[in-house]
Amino acid sequence: MMSGPSSLRSMASCWTSLTQSLKVPTLLKPTLLPTTFTRNFIVAPKREKRRIKIHPPIKGPPKNPLQALTTQALQTLDPNGTRQKMFSRHNKDSIRPGDIVQVRRRNGDPFSGVLLNIRRRGVDSAFLLRDHLTRVGVEMWFKLYSPAIEDIDLVQRKAKRARRAKLYYMRQPKHDFGSVANVVKEYTRRVRPTQRQRK
Amino acid sequence: MLTCIDNSGAALVECAQVLKRKKPAGIGDKIVVVIQKQRSLGHDLSAAAQAAVKVRRGDVCHAVVVRTKKKYRRPDGSYIRFDDNACVLVNKSGDPLGTRLNSVVGEELRRKKWSKILSLAPMNV
Repeated sequence: MMSGPSSLRSMASCWTSLTQSLKVPTLLKPTLLPTTFTRNFIVAPKREKRRIKIHPPIKGPPKNPLQALTTQALQTLDPNGTRQKMFSRHNKDSIRPGDIVQVRRRNGDPFSGVLLNIRRRGVDSAFLLRDHLTRVGVEMWFKLYSPAIEDIDLVQRKAKRARRAKLYYMRQPKHDFGSVANVVKEYTRRVRPTQRQRK
Repeated sequence: MLTCIDNSGAALVECAQVLKRKKPAGIGDKIVVVIQKQRSLGHDLSAAAQAAVKVRRGDVCHAVVVRTKKKYRRPDGSYIRFDDNACVLVNKSGDPLGTRLNSVVGEELRRKKWSKILSLAPMNV
């Protein structure tokens, strides 16, 4: 059917010319040798040894992928862990609802207010501040780990620990704290100069 | 119903329509309002103040929303929310009718090209 031997696919090897004759080992005793030992062998062309690359087994996803992602993100956003500590449940001196907090922003004026709510969601953690500006209530949610936030200061603690986690009742006129401007002013006068000296 | 925070003479206005938007109006959006209540009613108004009153009750006017009670998302992920809804009256070409604003406005006005209102405002957040 086909012309040359090379086109026969089913053949395992191709024909090659006689390359060399095998030499009779000299160590063998002459008596063992047959008188005519001059047979030629076909020697296959030398091929490089194929190595099958063995890969290490693929690592499965981490047991808790979301947790791993969170820790990884926090390492870049909050390398010192200061903000994590500032709002941690386990830290006794952490900022808690009811405290007066000042947020210094990278671009924009600082915003301060009473902390109404802390939303703990890993990297997405945020907190809600409430203040009065020109006698209008203003509330701002800030992302805790946002790079737009330069610093978070605790201005004043609540005298008595708040007995609930969400202080939305402070929106009612009866419980409203009003403007925190005076408290913050007092704080900046007292604390900020010393901070500047330290820097 | 929104409060009007300029000195055009309106105190309380009612939104009749939101312009160029199919959703509810946010900060910086233009709306059509009907003036429901006038500021400083009564006969003890001085002549100058009377002249300053540019709108009357029942007038239909354009306005720009400057504060919303609904929280508004900023590009950096923070949210802003005010305790009331407020607006500033403007004429059709976009200039404010009043000459003075009496309370804080949202910073979103800058992005929406309402710098005239921003410059009049005592404060913006």
